[in-house]
Formats: sequence, structure tokens, C-alpha cells
Amino acid sequence: MNRRQFVRDVLLWSAGLSLGVPCFDVGGISAASAPPLLGVASGKDYSLLVEKAIEVIGGIKGFVKSGDRVVIKPNIGWDRTPELGANTHPLVVRRLAELALDAGASGIQVFDNTCNEKRRCYASSGIIDELEKIGDKRIRWEHIDPRKFVPVDISAGKSLKRWEIYQDALTADCYINVPVAKHHGLSRLSLGLKNAMGVIGGNRGKLHQNIGQDLADLATVVKPQLIVIDATRMLLRNGPQGGRVEDVKIADTVIATADPVAADAYATTLFGLRPEEIDSTVAAYKMGLGEIDLQRIQIRTVQV
Amino acid sequence: MIFLRRLSQGVFLALFFVLFLKTDYNGTDHLDAAVNLLFRLDPFVAACVMLGVKSFLLLLLPSLVVLLLSVIFGRGFCGWFCPMGTLLDLTSKIVSVRNKNNRTYYPSLPLIILVFALFSSLCGFAVAGYIDPFSLLVRGMAQAFYPLLNSLTVGFFSFTYRDLPEIINQVTEPVYSILQDLILPSEQKFFHLAFLSFFMLVGIWLFEGVQRRFFCRNICPLGAMLGLFARRALVAGKGGNSDCGSCRICSSNCRMGAIDEGRKIAMANCNLCFECVQKCPRQIVDFGFSTHWSANTSISLSRRSFIGAAIAGVVLPSVKGVEVLAKNPDPSLIRPPGALAEKEFLARCVRCAECIQVCIGNALQPAFLQAGLDGIFSPVLAARTGYCEFNCTLCGQVCPTGAIRELSQTEKHRAKIGHAWFDKNTCLPYAKGTPCMVCEEHCPTPDKAIRFRDVSVMGDAGRMVSVQQPYIVDELCIGCGICENKCPLPGKAAVYITSAGEDRHPNIFLPSATATPYSG
Repeated sequence: MNRRQFVRDVLLWSAGLSLGVPCFDVGGISAASAPPLLGVASGKDYSLLVEKAIEVIGGIKGFVKSGDRVVIKPNIGWDRTPELGANTHPLVVRRLAELALDAGASGIQVFDNTCNEKRRCYASSGIIDELEKIGDKRIRWEHIDPRKFVPVDISAGKSLKRWEIYQDALTADCYINVPVAKHHGLSRLSLGLKNAMGVIGGNRGKLHQNIGQDLADLATVVKPQLIVIDATRMLLRNGPQGGRVEDVKIADTVIATADPVAADAYATTLFGLRPEEIDSTVAAYKMGLGEIDLQRIQIRTVQV
Repeated sequence: MIFLRRLSQGVFLALFFVLFLKTDYNGTDHLDAAVNLLFRLDPFVAACVMLGVKSFLLLLLPSLVVLLLSVIFGRGFCGWFCPMGTLLDLTSKIVSVRNKNNRTYYPSLPLIILVFALFSSLCGFAVAGYIDPFSLLVRGMAQAFYPLLNSLTVGFFSFTYRDLPEIINQVTEPVYSILQDLILPSEQKFFHLAFLSFFMLVGIWLFEGVQRRFFCRNICPLGAMLGLFARRALVAGKGGNSDCGSCRICSSNCRMGAIDEGRKIAMANCNLCFECVQKCPRQIVDFGFSTHWSANTSISLSRRSFIGAAIAGVVLPSVKGVEVLAKNPDPSLIRPPGALAEKEFLARCVRCAECIQVCIGNALQPAFLQAGLDGIFSPVLAARTGYCEFNCTLCGQVCPTGAIRELSQTEKHRAKIGHAWFDKNTCLPYAKGTPCMVCEEHCPTPDKAIRFRDVSVMGDAGRMVSVQQPYIVDELCIGCGICENKCPLPGKAAVYITSAGEDRHPNIFLPSATATPYSG
């Protein structure tokens, strides 16, 4: 079943017209394709970092087509202010939204299934403020609507066979994953694959019991067209929610790629760790979801 | 005048609803308005609370204004302002009275309740909140009607969203979104005692079918208190006179039963609705400033009733002293951050449910008997339902009596309301060697109070596995309950909160702490 068929199934299911749970087949993906491109921009101007990191991998128009319905999924999981590095930096989200608009997006949704109280998370993250500064009606930040979770069969899943996933994340023309790179007690780091926890429902803590494989399984159905990792302010300890500026390392870096494994693999190195030390990255690589070997990733760095 | 009275009732009822809706997180850390204003105007609440804590509370000063106004306008408060009274008047338009006899059933009961409440409050048994009209009203709304409204609305729009065609959704979805913006809560809340809160309020409304303003005439201690000051109110009703025929229209229509057979108006009961003025066929009944009061026809309390109520108010609290709870407080009784020590907390708490209404995480629940017979409906944190949000300080902001102190965010971050404990028999890394650490992930203290040790244990498959096992750092845990709330086990959590080590009772310290109170 291809992506188009999958999207149709999701829509039918949520419209009550189909009883068959949507299912996404990933059989066609192979790791033997061309080395993935990965852009890394560093510098003080966070807006510019986003722009440049995407520019060096082909520019936003390579991902967002005119008329696309775009979903931008930052990490807004915690009731923490931007300097604490627990949520995606608001300037990163804002610039991404602006770029998507420039590329002709017909609508942009921004949301996250938060861990702390949703309104506090959205307000404290500073993301709403920045999005409203753009002042464009096509941008809609919204809270999770519980009616929009649909059960999805994860046919390629080794551990996670079926889970409730947020419909809008599955049906967007362009799904952009914008995690913040930070410490996490259980999984060591919270990066791109972990950020998918924000588009699923149910008892999410359950995934912790086999976090590496579960995240990889989830990545077989939640498939961003573009991953932008915010490593501007990296939380090094007491993650994933932190709370102390002392635990934040200012790294002033933004990573952009279309390869979910390469994104996490590279971001891991910023913490002084090897990509193989993160279970979810390894599991996703083994499932053929992307490239873990830094030697086989075309890394294009740009200093801003 | 009737038009003016109805206008006033409508305006204040609307204001009440607006304040109720504003008793919610508004996007900033500070509320600009809340329904607590109503309780600060309530002299019955003020008297009970001040007797209970035996000192003057500045917070409740506005209630003095209401008392002074009743010296001038009598119980105009009941007829023109009280939102409960207005709702009762509206109910009586639907529920019609069968019984044509308009005599008040238990005319002295409100005074008996008043005397009992005052004495029992003085002796440490605060029951004012059980019968105060505003407590009943806000509680019923917060713990039953408002969540019910949301549940039904969401249910309806979930049905239209899932089961009806797109074309209908184009109409229903915008309506839903407007309702969400204007009146619905941001999240469905769930409450203990939802039925009890519901029936107490509905019961009061249904008694309108027995007689009009049944609650006001037969129960309301606030009305009785205002009535004491209203007896010699400056504004007084001129009842019938010798020109009267035998129509009795005024007395049979009086919603407060304030007009007797001799058509004298008792200002202790009259709420200045002016229906008698309007309905009097000869335009004899009138109101005006008067120093010549009609013969005092107000009900007064017999000495026997007074002494009986007073004795009951003194005796009951003493029974509390021999309850097991007096010796062993219930460890599940977690009070909101900033709550005073239990004795003073209960003396001040008027069960208005505002903290419960404003609680952003549905953490605060009305207690049943965990806090004793006089603690029903007082707020208690039930972590499995909701946890105390780390940066939120709203409950202290809305408490009308200062039972919950208003904390700054910095104070709140250090306020220890309880303590977390692990149940190693069920906690996955201990019991099954399975990774988990959801509690540690969510622990909000910047220096985590839940940490873990990397250990090797024998896994289920008979092989050694390395797993992280969590533990609590006693000095850092504030008892917010997010760990208990997010624990992924079904049913009972493997990490749970008790009141052990809470700030407000420094004598109940943790085994690891010294005898000095916790200082953060």
C-alpha cells in the first residue's frame, strides 16, 4: 500500500466510512539509495540558521510545494521558557513557518501533544507569540483535538503493532518534524524520532518499555518530509524537561535533512556521543529507515 | 421597580457567570478576576471563618458592606443581587407550586442553622460551606454542571464529526470552535462527588415546586443573618391598612412569605421584590424610607431553639476529637500548595470549589471523609486523576478566605505538599526488569527528585538485563504527583504520593530528614 492509499484510508476511517484500520507498508524503502544530504548551520541568528541549513540541502521548495498543506511539529512538550532548552526554540519554528509560506503552503498547522498542561506549554514556549507576529491567517497553531486520533496498524513494526496516531500528522502534504535536541534519562537523548511521541495518543508511557524499537516502528508510519533539529540551546542534564539554565549548552546549531536516521545520528555527535549509542537510531537504521553512518551522509556545513 | 429589580438580577447573574468562566487559566500566571469576589461579600462566610480562626481577616472586609447595606435596604441583597436567588426565581417559572398555602414551612430553621454554624465554627467544626448559598452554587457548577456541559457538548460534536457528512461538519465545526473559545473548559474534568454536588443544587431548585424561594425561606443562613440586620431596615414596606378588602393577593403572592394575615410586611424576610406593590389592586402596598416600623412580625428564635442549636454547635466539634483521624490523619490527604496547617485550613475553607474549578490539571478533588465529617468537599489532590502543575499558582490566587495562601512561583517551586514513594512490587524496572522511567522523565524539579541507578537484574527471560531503577531524593521531592499521574501501569500507580513530609506539618517529617522542618 502506498502513501496515497494510506492517506485515503486514514480519512475514510476517521470519517467513519471504513472499519479497516489504516495500515502503511514500508516494503519499498531501501538503505542502498544515494547518500542522504544533511545541512548544518551554526551561528547566532537562529532564523538565518534555519534558512541556511535548508538552503544547503536544496532549499524549502524541495520540500514544500505550492498549495501544500503543511504540518510543523515542534516539541512544545513542557511548560518551560525558551532559554531552558526543553522546547523547540520559537524563532526556529517561526522561520520555518515563514519559509513554508514563501514556498506557497496553502495552510500550516502547528501542534504538539504536550506532557504538561497544554495551554501553559504553548504559552511558555514562546512559539505562539512568534507565530502570531507573522500575522498570516494560513498559520494555525492549535491544541490537540482528541477526536483526531486514529488507530493505525504498523505492519512493519517489530514491537509496536498498532497505535493511535494524530490524523493531521499522517495526512499532511508536507510534514516537518522540528525537535529540540536534548538530554533524556531513559533514551539518553531526545531527537527527531522521539519527537514523534507528540503525534500519538493513548498511554504514551507504554513506549518506554521498549523505547528504541518502538520509536523506530513509529517512524515507519510517521514520516516527515523534512527534519529540522534545533540544537541552538541543548539541554545536557535533567532532561527532557530541565528547568535550569546551567544545564543548557549554547550550541547555536540547526540541522536539516530529509533522512530521519541521519538527522538523529548527526545530532548525537553534538553531545559527544556516537550515533550507535542511541537505541532508536540504531533500530531505525536496521529497519532501513535511513543512514546512521556519518561517513555515508553528505554533510554540508555553513557558518552564518 | 420590578423591571429594575429584574435588570439588576440579570446583570448580577450574568456577572456571576462571567466571573465563573474567568476562574480559569488566562494565558498568564495571574488571574485578573475570579468568582471569589462573591465569597468576600458574604457576611455569613465571614462570620464563620473569623470565629473559626479567632481573628479579623481583611480579605473578608467587603462583607461588612453587605451587612451595612442590609441595615438600609433590608434583604434587598437576596432579591436583587444573590445569583442563587435569581436562579431560584427563574426555576419557579418552570416548576410551578402546587401548594397554595404560602406559609413558610420552617421559618426559624435558617436562624437555627445560623446559630449552629456560628457556634460550631467557633469550636473548630466548620460547616458554613455545606449550606452557604454561594458555596452550594459554585460547587454544583464547578463539580457537576460545568464538566457536564462540556461532556455533553463534546459528545455531540464528536458524533457530528465522526458520523455525519462533511457538509454538516462545515456548519457544526465552527460552532464547536466558538463554544470552545467562549464557554467550554479547555479539558474535560472529572470529579468525585459529582452526583452529590449535582443533587444538592438540583434539590434546591426542585424545592421551588414546594414553595417559592423554599431554600431562602427555610434554610439559607446567610439570608437569616441579613434578616437580623434587616428587621429595622430604613427602607420598610407599608403593608395593608383598614382600606384593604379581603383579597390577600399580596400575602399569597409573596415569594418570601414575608406578609402575614394582617398584611404586615416583615422586613427580616422581605427581599424587596416589589411584586406586592405591583399586584395590589388598590395600590395600597408601598415601600419607602421609614422610621415608623410596622409591628415586628419577624420570626425570632425561641430561647429553647437557640440554646439547642448552640449546644449542638459546641458538642459536635468535641466528637471530632475522638475520631481516629484526630490521632492518625489520612495519609492520602494532600492539600493544595500553600494550604495552611490542617486545623486552620478547615476553619477557613468554605468549600466554594474555586480552587477545584481553577486547578489547571484536574488535580484538586472534593474530599469525602478523608478529612473528617467537617472536611467534606474540601480540596484534596488526587494524583492519579491530575497532578499539581509545577509553575501554576492559581489555587492560592482564587481562595477567598486565605485557606490556601497565595504563593509566588518561586515559593511554589519549593512548596512540599507530599512525598512520592515507590511500590517495588509493581514498579516495572524492579518487579519485571523492564525499562520505564516515565516518572523520572516527567519529574519537574530542575534538579530531578526522581533519579535512577543502572543495575543488572535477572530478566523474565532468565538472562541478566541492565535496567534503570528509580528512587526518590527526599530533599527535592515536592509531592506534585506527576509521577503517580503519568505512571503507565494500568489502575494503581507504582509510585504514589502521601502527605508525609509536607511543609505545613513540620512535625510529620520523613525518616531521612532531621527534626527541623523541611526548608527546600
